[in-house]
Amino acid sequence: MHPSQSGRLNQGEFTVGFFDKFGKQDEKKPKADFSNVQSGSSSTAAEPAATLPPLNPPVGTTGQSQTYVVVAGDSLSKIAKRFYGDANKWPRIHEANRDLIKNPDLIHPGQKLTIPGA
Amino acid sequence: MMQSKKITLALCAALLVVAAGCGRKPADTGTTGTTGTTVVKVTDVSLGRAIGSDKAISDSTDNFRPNDTIYASVSTEGSASSATLRAKWSFEDGQTVDQSTQTIAPDGPKRTEFHIAKPNGWPAGKYKVEVFLNDQPAGTKSFDVK
Repeated sequence: MHPSQSGRLNQGEFTVGFFDKFGKQDEKKPKADFSNVQSGSSSTAAEPAATLPPLNPPVGTTGQSQTYVVVAGDSLSKIAKRFYGDANKWPRIHEANRDLIKNPDLIHPGQKLTIPGA
Repeated sequence: MMQSKKITLALCAALLVVAAGCGRKPADTGTTGTTGTTVVKVTDVSLGRAIGSDKAISDSTDNFRPNDTIYASVSTEGSASSATLRAKWSFEDGQTVDQSTQTIAPDGPKRTEFHIAKPNGWPAGKYKVEVFLNDQPAGTKSFDVK
């Protein structure tokens, strides 16, 4: 007796049927676009002590303000760490950009922030 | 003769009791770790639309609207000089929506929040956020956008 006559499908028949069904669903529903998702994170815990010098420290600009364009994955503490070498100095950047940043936990890629001099 | 046998048996019994007593451990003084808490563990992952300054969820839900900012608050216990938390957000079709990491140096119970927002709205469907601690799975929460 053929397996399908017994009401039981063999493994190959099930697999083909399963993916055929999935394929049809994919055709109906366009793939969602998550390219413009904005994200961030913060913690009540301290950040580990820095073991490396800050990335791209300002050269010869001590005391001068700079402009920085936010990129995906940035947070104020990350930017503070980058410019000042200390993530805990993020309130300085927040203060200088009060008009742009309502929620210090939420900044958006493309925002142009003023970074006060160190 | 019978008398000496009885005495011998009594002596043997007494010796057995003494031997058993000598072999017994003193009262348990505690076999749990005594080195202190040096390991960090994730104790809770909660979802919501808003967080407080303590990074705790203030508007808890697992049903979001398309224009919501979605927060995941991760509670940890323990202490470490450095630990990395990672949140991986996924859509029902398996797409990775976003991944963020936060490196912490906790010294007791702490909370770390991760959030995602989408200016033109979240597609309706089922999502999940997986939390990893030092690249080890530490918790998962599912949620819907309707």
